[in-house]
Amino acid sequence: MEEEDHQKVSDLIKELVLRLLSQNPTSDSQPIDPNSTDFANSLRYAFRILSSRMTPSIAPDSAAIAESIKRRLATQGKSSEALTFADLYSKFASKTGPGSVNNKWAVLYLLKIIAHDKNSARTQLLDSSVLLPNLSDSRVSSRKQKGWENGVLLVSKDPENRREIAFREFVNFVKEENEVREEVLVRDVLYACQGIDGKYVKFDKTADGYVLSDLVKVPRATRIMVRKLCELGWLFRKVKGYISESMDRFPAEDVGTVGQAFCAALQDELSDYYKLLAVLEAQSMNPIPLVSEKVSSENYLSLRRLSVWFAEPMVKMRLMAVLVDKCRVLRGGAMAGAIHLHAQHGDPLVHEFMRRLLRRVCSPLFEMVRSWVLEGELEDIFAEFFVVGQPVKAESLWRDGYRLHAGMLPSFISQSLAQRILRTGKSINFLRVCCEDRGWADTATEAAAAAGTTTRRGSLGYGETDALESLVDEAAKRIDKHLLDVIHIQYKFKEHCLAIKRYLLLGQGDFVQYLMDIVGPELSEPANTISTFKLAGLLETAIRSSNAQYDDPDILDRLRVKMMPHGTGDRGWDVFSLEYDARVPLDTVFTESVMARYLKIFNFLWKLRRVEHGLIGAWKTMKPNCITSHSFTKLQQAVKLQLLSTLRRCQVLWVDMNHFVTNLQYYIMFEVLEVSWSNFLSEMEVAKDLDDLLAAHEKYLHSIVEKSLLGERSQTLCKSLFVLFDLILRFRSHADRLYEGIHELQARTMESSLPSRDKSKSRRQLGDKSSDPGSWIGEGRKALTQRAGEFLRNMGLDLDAIAKEYSSLLEGFISQLPVQQHVDLKFLLFRLDFTEFYTRSGPSL
Amino acid sequence: MDPEAARTARESLDLAFHMSNILDTGLDRHTLSVLIALCDLGLNPESLAAVVKELRTEPPPPSSATPTTSTAPSFLP
Repeated sequence: MEEEDHQKVSDLIKELVLRLLSQNPTSDSQPIDPNSTDFANSLRYAFRILSSRMTPSIAPDSAAIAESIKRRLATQGKSSEALTFADLYSKFASKTGPGSVNNKWAVLYLLKIIAHDKNSARTQLLDSSVLLPNLSDSRVSSRKQKGWENGVLLVSKDPENRREIAFREFVNFVKEENEVREEVLVRDVLYACQGIDGKYVKFDKTADGYVLSDLVKVPRATRIMVRKLCELGWLFRKVKGYISESMDRFPAEDVGTVGQAFCAALQDELSDYYKLLAVLEAQSMNPIPLVSEKVSSENYLSLRRLSVWFAEPMVKMRLMAVLVDKCRVLRGGAMAGAIHLHAQHGDPLVHEFMRRLLRRVCSPLFEMVRSWVLEGELEDIFAEFFVVGQPVKAESLWRDGYRLHAGMLPSFISQSLAQRILRTGKSINFLRVCCEDRGWADTATEAAAAAGTTTRRGSLGYGETDALESLVDEAAKRIDKHLLDVIHIQYKFKEHCLAIKRYLLLGQGDFVQYLMDIVGPELSEPANTISTFKLAGLLETAIRSSNAQYDDPDILDRLRVKMMPHGTGDRGWDVFSLEYDARVPLDTVFTESVMARYLKIFNFLWKLRRVEHGLIGAWKTMKPNCITSHSFTKLQQAVKLQLLSTLRRCQVLWVDMNHFVTNLQYYIMFEVLEVSWSNFLSEMEVAKDLDDLLAAHEKYLHSIVEKSLLGERSQTLCKSLFVLFDLILRFRSHADRLYEGIHELQARTMESSLPSRDKSKSRRQLGDKSSDPGSWIGEGRKALTQRAGEFLRNMGLDLDAIAKEYSSLLEGFISQLPVQQHVDLKFLLFRLDFTEFYTRSGPSL
Repeated sequence: MDPEAARTARESLDLAFHMSNILDTGLDRHTLSVLIALCDLGLNPESLAAVVKELRTEPPPPSSATPTTSTAPSFLP
C-alpha cells in the first residue's frame, strides 16, 4: 500500500513538473523531453522542496481559509468576485462522500498561496514568500553551500516532528495566554475603575495601585496606558474607602453633620461616576458603526478612547481624593474651610464642581448660623460650629457664656462677620435668659423678612455669603436695638448709672453731708463694736432728710451699707462703705470686679469728704469770735504774745490744708467725675449694641480711677495722699486740743479775777476729774501764767512739727504730680499752685 | 469507481477550477487536478505551492551535479 502510494506520488509529481515546465514561456512550444537534464533537475528540485516541509504552518480549517480569501478579495475591491467565491466555496464544501476532495482545506490553501505568489510576483515584490522564509533561505543557501542541505534534511528527518510540534504548542499556548486582546483590557480597566479586580488588571498592595499582571505580554505603551487609566480606580478606592469608613464609625464616634454632608456629596458624585461607567461598559460591547463594509471594525472602546472618556472624571476624582486626604482629621467648620481653600481655582470645571460640593458641605453650617442668629439656638451636637457655648451664671453670660472657636471658623466667613454672628446670638440668649424678654422673636422674624430669606430651613447656601451677611446684619441691627431698648427702658440703665454716681461717687452733696454728720460719731468707735443695722438705720435717716427721698424707691432700695472685713485696730471709718445692688441683668455691666472698683473710688472719696468735714469742724471752733482777745488782757505780755502766735500758726496751717483739700475736692468733683460722666453719656447715646455700652462704661470707670490717682501707675502718689489725709486729721485733733486748752485758760483767767473760796472749792471738786487742769486750781496767778505758757509752748511745738511734716509731704506730693502721665492732673497742679507759692518755696521744683 | 463518485469528483474539480480562476492562479485544469490529487495524498500544500511557484517562474539553473533521479522520496510519508 505504501509502495503504491509512493509510486503514485512520484508519478504525480513528475506529471506536475512536466505540466508546469511545459507552460513556461522559456520552453516555447517545444514539448519537454521527460528525459532531459533540465527536467531531471527540476524534478529533483521539486522533490527537495516537497520533502522540506511536511506539515502546513496553519491549523487545518477550510472555513477560516475561505473567509480569509474572501476578505482579501474584498479588500482588493473585487466584491462581486468575493461573493462568487463564497458561493463556490459553499458548494465545494458541501461535496462529500466518495469521489469528493478529501483534503478541502489543503486545496484552498494551495490556491490561496499560489494566487498570492502570483500577485506578489506581478507586483515585483521581492519578499514574495513571506509565508515561507525558511524555504527560500534554505533554497538560497543550498545553492551556495552544499552543507546546509544536510542540516535541513536532518530537521526534516526527525521522524515524529517532536520539536516542531512542541514548538507549535508552545506558540499556541503563549498566544492564548499572552496575547490579550484590547477589548479584554478595556473591560479590565473598567472593572478596576470600579474598584474590582479584573482578569489581568489586579490591585497590587505592594505597589499600591492597579497593575497589569507581569505574565501578560503587551506592548510597553499599552502597559503604561493601562496604568494611567487605572489611577482612576486607585482614587476611587480611596474616596470610597473614606466614605464607608466615615459611615461605619458614625453611630459610635461622632462624624459631625458637616462630615456627613461631605460624605453624602461625595456619594452623589460617585453615583454620577457609576452612571458614566455603566454607559461606557454598555458601549464597549458595540462595534464602531462604519460606512464601508470593512470587516476589521473593532469594538467601540479602545484604551485610547477610554482615556479621553476618563479625562474629566479623573480630574474630579483626583480632587475628591485630595479633599478626602485633607479632611480625614478635620471636622465641622474647619473641614468646610479646608474645602473652601481648594475651591479657589481658575478652571471653571473644578470651580463648578467645588461649588456644588461646598454647597452641600456647608449647608449644615449655614443652618447653624441661621438658627443661631435668628433663634439663638446652638444646634451643635458635634461641636462643629464656630460659636461655642458654656454653662455659666446669668451675670457672666454675656462675657463668658459664648465665644468664637477660631479653629472651626471657615475662611469664607470673615472675622468681623463672625463677631457679629456671635453677638447677635448672644444678644438673643441674653434677652431670653437675663431679661426674660419675649419680644426678640418678632424682631428676628422681622429681620429675616427684611433680609429676603424666610426663617425656614435650608434657605442659605455656600457662595451666598452676601445673603448671609445681609441676614446677619439685619438680625444684628434689630436684635441689638431691641436689646438696648430693653436695657434702657425696661431696666433703666441710665438711671442706675446716675444713682451710682450720686450715692457711691458722692455726687448728692446734701445727702453725703448729712450722712457724714450722723454716722460720724458712730464711725469713730472701734470697727468691731459697730452694728450694721444701726448704720443702715442711719443711712435711711440720711436719705429721708435729704433730697434723696424724692428718688425712685426702687433705686433707694438697692442702696445698702456694707462693712468691709476689718482688723483689730480698725475704726469705723476704715470699714464703712456703701453698696449698690445692680441685680440681673444689669449685673452684666456692674459685675463684681466693676463694683469693687466703685468701692475703691467710694473709699477714696469718702476719706476725702471726711477730711474736708474734719477741717470744717475745726474751723467752727477756730472762728475768731469764739476767742476774744480782751479776755486775755490780764495775762502777761509774754504769754499773750505766745498765745497769739500759736493761734496764728494754727490758722495759717489750717488755711494751707484747707486750700489743698478744697482744690483736690474740686478737681475730683468737676474735672474727674463730671467730665467722665458727660463723656459717658454721649457715648451711651451712640452705642449700637451691648458691647459698645460695656466699653463705654468701662472707659468711664477707667478714666475715673486713673484721674483720681487710684490707678496702678499712681500708687505712690496715692499713698502720700493718704498720709497727707492722716496728717490733716491729726492736725484736727491737735487744733481741737489747743482750743480746748485756750477755752479752759480763758475760763480760768475770768474766774481768777473773782476770788471766791466757794467757787474755788467747787472747782477743786471739778478738778478732781482730770489731773492736769486740776493742778492749775488753787495755784496762784503766777503759776497759772506759767502753766499757760508751758501748754502754749508745747502746742506750738506740736503745731510746728505738724506744719513741717505737712509742708514736706505736700512738697513731695506736688513734685510727684508732673511725673504722672495723665494730662488732667496738670489742672490739679495748676489749681494747687496757682500763685506759684509752692514752686518758689520748694527748692527742688 | 461508480458513476456517482466520478460525477462528484468532476464537479469538485470544476468548482476548484472556478475558484482558481477567480483567484487568478493561472493553473490549467489538468495541473489543478494533479495538485488536488497530491493534496489528497497528504502532501503539504505550502510545499506544493512552492514547487508551482519555483518551476513556473524559472527553470532551476543547470546543476553541476549529475542527474541522480534516484532520489525518490523515501522519506515521504
